[in-house]
Amino acid sequence: MGLKRNVGLAVALRYKGKTPFWSYILHRIGGSALFTFFTIYIMALAGVDFASGILGNWLFQIFSLSFGLFHIINGLRITILDLFPNLIRRQREAIWLEWAVFLPLYGFMLFVVFRSAVGG
Amino acid sequence: MEVTLKIFRYNPEVDKKWHYETYSIEAEETDRILDLLEKVKGHVDGTLSFRRSCAHGVCGSDALRINGRNYLACKTLVRDVGHKITVEPLLGLKVIKDLIVDMEPFFNNYKKVLPYFINESPLPADGKERLQSPEDRARFDETTKCILCAACTTSCPSYWGNESYLGPAALVTAHRFIFDSRDEAASQRLEILSETNGVARCHTIFNCTMACPRDIKITKAIGELKMAMVTGKLD
Ligand code: HEM
Ligand code: FES
Repeated sequence: MGLKRNVGLAVALRYKGKTPFWSYILHRIGGSALFTFFTIYIMALAGVDFASGILGNWLFQIFSLSFGLFHIINGLRITILDLFPNLIRRQREAIWLEWAVFLPLYGFMLFVVFRSAVGG
Repeated sequence: MEVTLKIFRYNPEVDKKWHYETYSIEAEETDRILDLLEKVKGHVDGTLSFRRSCAHGVCGSDALRINGRNYLACKTLVRDVGHKITVEPLLGLKVIKDLIVDMEPFFNNYKKVLPYFINESPLPADGKERLQSPEDRARFDETTKCILCAACTTSCPSYWGNESYLGPAALVTAHRFIFDSRDEAASQRLEILSETNGVARCHTIFNCTMACPRDIKITKAIGELKMAMVTGKLD
């Protein structure tokens, strides 16, 4: 009867959710980025050459650490809201606070990556 | 004033695939989207199909995706959404015709949380009501307001990905009974919610809270259920 139940990724991404919805999507990307980063990191430690090459690439570092840092800060927001359901009333403020914590750390991280990229 | 109304159309008897149809119609800023759909059905194309009953935000029949997010068509005004309006069926449920979706899976999930009052103890000595303090009543007041329109469940990415996930609406109903001091089946319901497709599938995305036409703080209610499940306490 009728059409298939059809919520492909493209349709889903077009849903007009607000900031928490985008945080959710970035969180998935961040989880995968961290997973990739640590996999490559462990391979590099084990002496795999091409893994060391990727790990040394500052574009790779920026990509995985940006999304990864977001994952960690956003993960803390989710954990806090899960532990204190009463705070969920303040979820909009929680998102602002999250950015207030994220941006300075992000700036610092970019500084460190660029410094080591330039300094060699 | 003229508005452009783009409507998702699908007639399983003739169409292989769905399509959009666009209508230009006269409207006021204060017209509801439901009024516009009635106008199209009454004056332009009588085959347009959609659900509605009360037309006053009570029955929960006309939850639809309007300009990309879920609303009740009878509670949403033109001025809330602008002059270019796209109306589509809810996501995550099968489309039966045009804007009508198959609500069966939604209600099946609802039934799983035992959505009725359970109390096997004898009635009070006077044989009348089981009394409750105003504070105890207030504990679950918000979740009594659900009209089962499915706007929340069908806005939830977790439900889109897995139709066995109970979904926000069923969890709201579970909350309504679990936190009712007169009900005796809280632990039975918490057991059901602790299964694979229960509260653990909630990723705190808040689409449900924002879609709810009754302003129920759904994510908060689910958060309280998660906590009750972990601590075994109902406060
Ligand atoms: C302090 C560090 C971290 C925090 C606070 C954190 C927090 C979280 C939280 C709260 C979730 C659940 C989110 C939800 O329910 O939607 C989650 C999911 C996840 N995390 Fe982390 N995380 C951290 C580090 C990591 C690391 C190092 C990795 C990878 C090696 C990782 C990979 C993932 C993945 C793959 C998911 C699953 C996402 C999904 O459900 O699709 N996380 N994280
Ligand atoms: S028609 Fe009843 S809720 Fe809109």
